Amino acid sequence: MGKIHELVQTMFPPDGSGLKPYEWMMNPTRQREWIDKKGIFLWLAFFFSEIGAGLYFVSLFYEYKAGLILGWLITLFLGGLIHVLYLGQPTRAWRMFMKPNTSELARGMWIIGAFAALGFLQIVTAGGFNMVFNTIMAILCLLIISHGFATMNVIKALPAWSSTMVLPLSVISGIWVGQQVLQLMAAVSGTAGFASGMEIWAEVFFFAYFLCLLLYVWGTWHASDIGKESIKNLTNEELLKISLIGVVGLGVVLPLILTLIMWGGDTNGFLIFLRLASVCAGDLAMRFVIMKSAVYKPLI
Amino acid sequence: MTYKTDEIWEDKWVNTTCGVCYCGCSARVRVVNGMPVKIEGIKDSTMGGTGSSLCGKGVAGLMYYYDPNRIKKPLLRTNPEKGIGVDPKWKEIEWEEALEIISTKKKKIMEDDPNKILFTNQTMRASDGPHNHPYFYAQAFGVKNNGNFIIGGGSLHCGNAAHMLGGLIHGAWSIAPDWRYTKYVLKWGSSKGTGSGHSAMTNARLRADAIRRGTREVVFDPMGNFAGGKATEWVPILPGTDTTVGLAIANYILNTRGEIDEFYLKAKTNYVYLIREDGTFIRDENSDKPLVFDNKAQKIKEFDDKSIAYEDFSLEGDYEHNGEKCRPCFMAVKEHLKQFTPEWASEISTVPVGTILQIAKDWVDNAQIGSTITIEGQTFPYRPVSSVTFRGSQGHTNGIHQVASIDLISQLVGAEDVPGGTMGWPSKRRKYPGGQYERMPRIGKDGVLIPAVFFSHDPWPVHTPSVPCDNSGCVNFWTHCTLSHIPYVKEKDYIHEKFGMGAKPEMIFGIAANFIISQSDWDVAIENFKDCFVVQNDLWVNETDQAIGDIILPDVSYLEKDCWSSEIDAFFFSGSPSNEDWYVHLQNPVAEPIGESRFFMDVYMDVAHRVGVLDKFNESLNNYYGVTDEELKIKPGEFLTWKEIGERYMRWVYGDDKEMIEERGYATWHKPIEDVYWRWNTESRCPIYMEFLIHDRRAIDKIIEDTGFDLEMELDQYTPIPSWFVPISYRELDNEYDLLAFSYRDILHTNNTTFQNPYIDEVSKMCPYTFTITLNTDIARERGMKDGDVIWLENRYGVKENGIVKTMEAQSPRVVGISGQGGLWADGRPIAKGKGSNFCKLLPSYLRHYDPITGNIETAVAVKIYKD
Amino acid sequence: MPRWGMVIDVKRCIACWGCTIACKEEHFLPPGVFFNRVLIGETGKFPSSSKLIYPILCNHCSEAACVEACPTGATYIREDGIVEVDDDKCVGCRACLVSCPYQQRTYYDQEVKDREYFPGQGKTQLELLGEKLYPFKVGTVIKCNFCSERLEDGMKKGLEPGKDEEATPACVTICPVNARVFGDLNDPDSEVNRLIMEKKGKQLRKEFGTEPAVYYID
Repeated sequence: MGKIHELVQTMFPPDGSGLKPYEWMMNPTRQREWIDKKGIFLWLAFFFSEIGAGLYFVSLFYEYKAGLILGWLITLFLGGLIHVLYLGQPTRAWRMFMKPNTSELARGMWIIGAFAALGFLQIVTAGGFNMVFNTIMAILCLLIISHGFATMNVIKALPAWSSTMVLPLSVISGIWVGQQVLQLMAAVSGTAGFASGMEIWAEVFFFAYFLCLLLYVWGTWHASDIGKESIKNLTNEELLKISLIGVVGLGVVLPLILTLIMWGGDTNGFLIFLRLASVCAGDLAMRFVIMKSAVYKPLI
Repeated sequence: MTYKTDEIWEDKWVNTTCGVCYCGCSARVRVVNGMPVKIEGIKDSTMGGTGSSLCGKGVAGLMYYYDPNRIKKPLLRTNPEKGIGVDPKWKEIEWEEALEIISTKKKKIMEDDPNKILFTNQTMRASDGPHNHPYFYAQAFGVKNNGNFIIGGGSLHCGNAAHMLGGLIHGAWSIAPDWRYTKYVLKWGSSKGTGSGHSAMTNARLRADAIRRGTREVVFDPMGNFAGGKATEWVPILPGTDTTVGLAIANYILNTRGEIDEFYLKAKTNYVYLIREDGTFIRDENSDKPLVFDNKAQKIKEFDDKSIAYEDFSLEGDYEHNGEKCRPCFMAVKEHLKQFTPEWASEISTVPVGTILQIAKDWVDNAQIGSTITIEGQTFPYRPVSSVTFRGSQGHTNGIHQVASIDLISQLVGAEDVPGGTMGWPSKRRKYPGGQYERMPRIGKDGVLIPAVFFSHDPWPVHTPSVPCDNSGCVNFWTHCTLSHIPYVKEKDYIHEKFGMGAKPEMIFGIAANFIISQSDWDVAIENFKDCFVVQNDLWVNETDQAIGDIILPDVSYLEKDCWSSEIDAFFFSGSPSNEDWYVHLQNPVAEPIGESRFFMDVYMDVAHRVGVLDKFNESLNNYYGVTDEELKIKPGEFLTWKEIGERYMRWVYGDDKEMIEERGYATWHKPIEDVYWRWNTESRCPIYMEFLIHDRRAIDKIIEDTGFDLEMELDQYTPIPSWFVPISYRELDNEYDLLAFSYRDILHTNNTTFQNPYIDEVSKMCPYTFTITLNTDIARERGMKDGDVIWLENRYGVKENGIVKTMEAQSPRVVGISGQGGLWADGRPIAKGKGSNFCKLLPSYLRHYDPITGNIETAVAVKIYKD
Repeated sequence: MPRWGMVIDVKRCIACWGCTIACKEEHFLPPGVFFNRVLIGETGKFPSSSKLIYPILCNHCSEAACVEACPTGATYIREDGIVEVDDDKCVGCRACLVSCPYQQRTYYDQEVKDREYFPGQGKTQLELLGEKLYPFKVGTVIKCNFCSERLEDGMKKGLEPGKDEEATPACVTICPVNARVFGDLNDPDSEVNRLIMEKKGKQLRKEFGTEPAVYYID
């Protein structure tokens, strides 16, 4: 950001919207409530719910209990708690179960509730890993992974969020990050073959993730004029660095390099850790710029 | 969300008058638990918009009461050094001390020459009115006339030419379309009906209905914003060139089309008066009355000879009187206009030829010359076309020719003060039923209307320029100035010396004017006024107070003011100009005064009392209201408050209804239709052939010769027929200073007082143009400027101002627009500080930058623009 | 049961901002909070460009995106069509706020509550009184309620919203040029319906499928 001239500072002090007050809803106007200020909690909450559920999801395939437990805890305690902290009236959070018929948010609450109860049951039950349980939990995990973006996806007022690729991107990125956490756990727990065998997931999901990202950008750009504005915002003064370094550099380029290095299962604990860190940062950046770049259509 | 009614122990509405601008709309204020919480209009009043409405800034007036920056005790400067950026080092003092200092000073000056006291008058702040009384207050001190007034607020941007013509033609301060019946309106640099001008919301209401009814509105304006942006057709025009289009239209009406309201011109104008070769009237040797030719009797007669039927007045013909050749002055006008072709006008004004011709044609087509209309059982000529102007077009060195040519269009088709035509504000105030006070215009010399009441100068009869001058404004010389420009003029001392004005101003006393920053070049203003002892009654310490004020007295805002007289005298600019009943509103206090603030009128009288001139002032009040009832008169030796005077005068003005009116907060009574459309009920003639200017010129030539006065003045403007004179701003354009900066009135702001209102401040930020400098999109692109850039505007005298660019399609490419009086810096008004840009400072203040006849300042200025 | 609606005549409107400021006074709104605004812009190229003026407020949509998004039922449509927020139920998730294509909602948090009209100089008596008389709950979402208090109190007195000013929203009452008309959209003979039919009233951003109760005519 360039230095703000004293006159501008006095007459139109920047409020973070990037607009002067007279441009509000006359120019494409950025969504702020769910990312700026306390809205940043929501970004974190969505992220943690997603990687927790992703971890849980991938762990199901390996019937790996430690993964279930960690995933369950991340989703509920990091994701859930931060969610509640974001609310203006956190003590009334229970009210959010009230309207699942219309509100995606309320549906999410029910899903998280079900996930909490059934997940707990699965973890504590000795024969928890059976086909039915696994299927139910896998579906719940996918729903939770996509919950954050699903609540965004239903908002028609923001074309960048209601864009077609938002949900696939969110599901794939959730599994991708969750898988990365699990792979690190596997590497740390000392079973090298476990970690190495998992590399095929990494290869597939990295490319799936990359493809989803491209499709999101391409699809949103072509969906509407206002979608195009949002995509343009990804490279505006404020977001360019995050988009380039975070989303592209850490989210795509570095994981790609690391994945190529470990291609065919030639894994290495440090590189797995490095890739996880990079993927997490990339995912956070991706979520951040998508939340931050969405704009409303001018009213006239 | 709901109201907690259990917290309320008092909830009432108080009727009063809005004081946020000069319009005086009705207002009612909701008072909860002793505190004003909401402002609306009064439902049935014609003073204001539809129903209980009020405009945004009126509603926002609430904040004047709550502003913690209001001064609460008198302040005394302790730092003798004055100027911008100098800390006055204020000291709070007691009222007694302040009033003693002021009256002692005044007394001392009066022993020498009372004309060394200047008075400020300012109608544009949150404590408006009484309107006329400061003028006879000044007289009580021995000050002779309006020449010792300096005006803040709208300053000389606003009105001198418009008021001069309003007074001469309509006996009123200003003009408006008759929205109720008009079909076609031309607005020239005016926003009447779209937010500004007198009775702004009354006009806005009437206009909105008219537009919905299908009235077409053509707006000539450099920008398509408040007026142009709402027009049926916005015609971009260069500032100050309206004359050319006006004259071209007049030429079309008179010479091309040849359709005029001959009967009107014969009956209601001085076009029938016979002139000799040099343009002056032929007058009867004994009566001195202008002569006319009676076609029927084939005889020259006095103009008011009852034996001539209107249709028999001659408009054209060559005659002889006492061996001297003569002809009706109409013929001179007709010939004169021939030179003004649409092609010529187009070249100067940038208005396309086709547009001029179309508008001229529509004008005549809509004028329905010869048609009549019957309203309330009375039949009037019906001329549903109206041509109005105000601040924008008249604020140039050619001001009087601008307004005269715009008026000429209406005159030629007889659309003056008849249904559908161009109306003055009411020229008469009939007495309230059962009351006493009445003001009616009279017919003066040459059959011209003498306004029933007029601030400051007398539009009629005119006074011939003379010297020596005995007042700061030298209005002995500049006789047509509503308020004089001379106090602001850079060469003031030279002018005073040449014209024998010996009384160097020593004191300024008045009401909250911000004349240092609201008129022209700030440095000149400071230089001209800094040696005076400056006393102002004010709400805050404004820029003028901070720069040169010596004593600042805390005034009440209109919400705390108890003023019975506010609108009683303001009918000629505050009543509804249309066919609507009278509504006169009192200003009732809705809350206790803040701190030790006192209503300035009471302070005025206290000072007069201390100086020993109160009896004189009281006597002039008795005379002004024509009080003959001994019981109600103010008697010698009496020292009353304004409210106590009201107790008596309200009885005089409203008779037995006094209590009822006080209780209700307003008086209303019927305005008879013949008072609304009075033109054909009054035996007066419009002096549209301004013959007096020939005599002025002769007198001026002699004075200049005698005194050796050699400042540049465009004396050719002293000519009786509207003509084209290039405004000085155009003469200062060149390759470097290549754009014309102009200013305009924003609906949200009343000069600069409103900048301190936080409600208005926050909505101002939501307007693209209020705080910014506007540039045509293409010109901005050409100069590499875009929205949000900070740029400088600099005039050729090295004065500059910066601001934030907002590009606009609807603006002529050759101009730069600033909405008025921002760029504020007074520490006493933190909300206002730093907001907007100041246009006024860019206006040079040499004598040549003023209209030589009316004293209007040139309100366009050649500037160069560059990025910060 | 009526369905309250509004017609805004942009031809009449002169952008005086009376609606915006009157609304602020009516509801004692803190700085920066607006239930009514005026959008100002222009369209076309010089010299045939024209100014656009659109007063905006909550559209009280019958297919309200905000109501759909609300997880608690705090935001709801009353029987008379007014979209209101029950601040006892609102959890402050702001899903409604983000969902509204018209951006007509404000999150009232401590920062908003602490704002002063004269920054750094403390709250005025007006602001303090407002907090007592018309309290907003911190951590909830606030919005235009079509002045439902005025309508209800007025109707209790036998007044008719849209006709009697006391029972009509403050923004309508204050308008100097009669640019706002309020009335019952369910009544085929109402002034609002007459204007919508005669002048072909348009809703803002109809494409969102929200079915606003505010119509614009020009």
